[in-house]
Amino acid sequence: MKKRSFTILLTALLTFSVMLAGCSGGNNSNKATGDPAPTQTAKAEDKTPAAEEPTAITIMLPLNTSETPPDTIKKEIEKLTNTKLTYQFFPADSYEEKLNTAFATGSLPQVTYLKNQSTFVQMKEAIKDGQFWEIGPYLSEYPNLNKLKPEILNNTKVEGKPYSLYIGRPLARQGMIYRKDWADKLGLKAPANVDELFAMAKAFTEQDPDGNGQKDTTGIADRNELVYGAFKTVSSWFGTPNTWGTKDGQLQPEFTFPQYIDTMDFFKELRSGGYMNQDFAATSKTDAVNMFTSGKAGMYIGGSMQDIDSLNKDLIKNFPDAVLDTHSMVAGPDGKFAQWMIPGYNNLVLFPKSAVKDEAELKKILAFFDKMMTPELANMMFWGIEGTHYTVVEGKAKVGDNKELIEREVKPFKDSVIGESETNGMYESYNTLPGRIHAEELLKENVKVGVPDPTAALDSATYTEKGVELQQLITDATYKYMYGQIDKAAFEKAVEDWKSRGGSKIIEEYNAAAAK
Amino acid sequence: MQEATAPSSTTPKFQPKKQKRNSELKKRLWRNKWLYVMLLPGVLYFIIFKYLPMYGLVISFQDYKPYQGITGSEWVGMEHFKRLFAEPEFFNILKNTLILFGLNLFIYFPVPIILALMLNELRGHFFKRLFQTLVYLPHFMSWVIIVSITYVMVTMDGGIINELLVYFGFNKINFLLSPGWFRPMYILQVIWREAGWGTIIYLASIAAIDPGLYEAARMDGAGRLRQVWHITLPAIRGVIITLFILKIGHVLDLGFEHVYLLLNSMNREVAEIIDTYVYTAGLRQGQYSYSTAIGFFKSVIGLIMVMLVNRISKKMGEEGVY
Amino acid sequence: MVEDRSISGRIYAAINFTLLAIIALITVLPFIHVVAGSFTTNAELAANKFVLIPKVWSLDAYKFIFSTNTIFRAMGVSIGVTLIGTLFSMLVTALMAYGLSRKDLDGRKAVNFLVVFTMLFNGGLIPTFLVVKELGLIDSYAALILPSAISAFNMIILKNFFQNIPEGLEESAKIDGCNDFGILFRIVLPLSMPAIATISLFYAVTYWNTYLTAILYLNDSIRWPIQVLLRQIVVLASGLDHSSTLDGTVPPPDQTIKMAVIVVATLPILMVYPYLQKHFAKGAMLGSMKG
Repeated sequence: MKKRSFTILLTALLTFSVMLAGCSGGNNSNKATGDPAPTQTAKAEDKTPAAEEPTAITIMLPLNTSETPPDTIKKEIEKLTNTKLTYQFFPADSYEEKLNTAFATGSLPQVTYLKNQSTFVQMKEAIKDGQFWEIGPYLSEYPNLNKLKPEILNNTKVEGKPYSLYIGRPLARQGMIYRKDWADKLGLKAPANVDELFAMAKAFTEQDPDGNGQKDTTGIADRNELVYGAFKTVSSWFGTPNTWGTKDGQLQPEFTFPQYIDTMDFFKELRSGGYMNQDFAATSKTDAVNMFTSGKAGMYIGGSMQDIDSLNKDLIKNFPDAVLDTHSMVAGPDGKFAQWMIPGYNNLVLFPKSAVKDEAELKKILAFFDKMMTPELANMMFWGIEGTHYTVVEGKAKVGDNKELIEREVKPFKDSVIGESETNGMYESYNTLPGRIHAEELLKENVKVGVPDPTAALDSATYTEKGVELQQLITDATYKYMYGQIDKAAFEKAVEDWKSRGGSKIIEEYNAAAAK
Repeated sequence: MQEATAPSSTTPKFQPKKQKRNSELKKRLWRNKWLYVMLLPGVLYFIIFKYLPMYGLVISFQDYKPYQGITGSEWVGMEHFKRLFAEPEFFNILKNTLILFGLNLFIYFPVPIILALMLNELRGHFFKRLFQTLVYLPHFMSWVIIVSITYVMVTMDGGIINELLVYFGFNKINFLLSPGWFRPMYILQVIWREAGWGTIIYLASIAAIDPGLYEAARMDGAGRLRQVWHITLPAIRGVIITLFILKIGHVLDLGFEHVYLLLNSMNREVAEIIDTYVYTAGLRQGQYSYSTAIGFFKSVIGLIMVMLVNRISKKMGEEGVY
Repeated sequence: MVEDRSISGRIYAAINFTLLAIIALITVLPFIHVVAGSFTTNAELAANKFVLIPKVWSLDAYKFIFSTNTIFRAMGVSIGVTLIGTLFSMLVTALMAYGLSRKDLDGRKAVNFLVVFTMLFNGGLIPTFLVVKELGLIDSYAALILPSAISAFNMIILKNFFQNIPEGLEESAKIDGCNDFGILFRIVLPLSMPAIATISLFYAVTYWNTYLTAILYLNDSIRWPIQVLLRQIVVLASGLDHSSTLDGTVPPPDQTIKMAVIVVATLPILMVYPYLQKHFAKGAMLGSMKG
């Protein structure tokens, strides 16, 4: 109503002003400008979705592809679940703004996907305040939701209670993707330990692995990320704990451990020797990948080993004879294997009380998600429609040939599937690239030596308030150390700085939370 | 600005309103009634979409929680401002911001003016239009694109510029990671992207100059440069000053995206500015109140600067922006 | 204008021309790179980085982006919003600017100041969102136009231009029986074509670049303008989104697609400028009438 009166007022005003634009001399036949206001009135109409027998559910989620998908998959899902679904995709890049604004103005829809772990950390306070439904008591009523892995659900709990469903991810997908053809040519095996890793980077730089007679290659292509670039993965091989570790019976951040320093030294030597890209502190993921796929670098470390397919696709266009392989079993100086693990989820789903009015509505929505966790629907969301988007080969899903169709119709939904193939029964992927098949085996190996983050399920108010800001201190010092601009004493000073500016409180709070 | 022609008799400048005769005011108001009607939509717009939401600034003084709303959130007074000023990096960040703004003001700001004058001096419609169109292209490239193209050109890992340096026997230069190169790169990118776009407004005011003035100057034997100096520049002085004052208001408000894309651990000591700090310390952690408080601080400084410069420009006989 | 045929005049013109030609070249090269990049393959882009003339030509990127109607629909939205928005904004801005340009208007200083004030202070996303919501504009195209209907900057600039118009003209129009609206639309606007063209261009580009408001106020992606698509592809393909890293199961779009989308999304707004340029020459009228 308010809207209408406002538009009418505005229209009246404008029409009035345009009418007056003549002169009193009697000649007002030609108007100076058009009147755009009526068009706006027409467009300002609300669209109310027709609520019928099927449950109407509105779902808000981040968009990780270039476009929102057409209705193909959605219609199938609606048919199978007797729902009327509204998917509201928003670009991942601005998702936080949308999420925060919608939350602060009470306009979140019934089903709200977060973006990642850090948006979850931000929401924790609101969750504690009771803004979202606690789903713990209901989970057992739903056979499929009940299958969700308790150890991962545990990581998503707030004050010991589950509020969210999780989108599963393999615990440890990271490792290295490297040029097997180069290694073979130089007579190198996959590095069994960090020394061999260094030797390989050196050999790839100095021994002309591409055989063009020029010294134009380097070992590692890294990027401006300590966590998802090479650093954390290598540091984990060195035996550094995953973000936090126990020292003298107390939780301490990873950068207080000697292995962290060893890793920095490792990269410092790699960089000064020229065995990795010199500008890695300013290199984006795309640029690092480009170095690799254009045959300038022989190793790509830290990303998901499953990325080998897309790296391979671009690389063989430039070098048809190139062969890639994956590897992750690199022993530390003490001969032990280790691999850091994520908390097992990529994203979470919350149910705001402002949109889900009562228990009955919540149960209907949970019932929908319960159905979504059946193999039939999980496959639909992840792989698409059988025969159209994929075929089943040897009990696995083989992606169809029409890549564009899959890109548009299926991919946007991929990152929204609740659970993982062990719990929702969806097909694993049918791979043909040997390196990828190897990667899938390594994923399982990784978990066997996996190191979890002990603070994943813990809470620290100080961390929530300024953890990101403080982490910046350490990140900067780490890079400066690796570039040889500061020494160990200066790095330790940065750690002291971190502590005095709130880090000590974070240590305290995590230890107190762990003791509970 | 030829504001000398203003009917100053009807609006005495510093005379209190009381002293005016009421009937004269009424008469004037009635005479200008249509002007007030014209202002109405605009004034309504500013009230509804700009002033109404300004209550949101209150959260600078609160510990705002979205779910508690502005009415329910706890009042903390100047707490957030204290936190900002107590920040060990604060003065460095402030200094960085001011230096970048200085570069914007003293290096970038004159470029569009000079470029516009040069474009105006071009003879022949074809080239005039062609060059105008070409220099205005970069404005439509987002910072993301510009920064990634720059990376490709200047990286030490096979960038053209460093390859050329090596070819000519120089050492490679670490453009991306050295604090010393951050500011030159920043301002060059700003000039590259915005200078052509910035000419438009000057070209429009040059277009409004009476050609007769040039005619007369030529009769007097004035050369081209003298014409530029004595006719073109004075004619666009008003626009230059207005733009200058408006720019001064953004002294601490440089925008987040461009600098953030250039920022890395190695150049942070010179590249961290208020806007990037707000992003890391405030927005990424959902610290609404803190970010709003910093924005409030920026605005207050901007307002002070605008009022100051506006006053100076008026003292110098210029129009000012209000 | 009369050609300056003296030797110094020619040297002056030649130097000026050469400098501008160099500047134009520098500004246009990266753009050529983007256009060239859109016509080649991803592999070539990765290998040769700063491609200016593709060795391998390919239309795949364009085939991909034009294979559905998404880009056309988004383009339609952008063109519609830009046209209507610019017209509407110009109307309200011109009215306000003209009112404030008249020096005999009581209260103009206060209004001017309050306008400048909004350039410095704003309430933030959330309160503005609530106003838009209260007005019932959520999910309507009007939400892309009304909340940004007047740019304080543009209004002040336009006001500046209006102030330059000799008041004698307005006086004589008044004697001829025109009211203030008549003066504005009959005399002031036609005399201010360079300014009108400039400010229209500013508005048009702002509307064309609408991004965040679209995401905040429009829940249905069917109504999104081209910039949302453009930015999404650019950010994904550049790998610059710091927060999405290892997480995605979806590889980023090809660089060539990114470049093709930039080309397609930028061309329409680029074409506006040459069209408006001709109005700059018309400004000469003002001087002649003044004399």
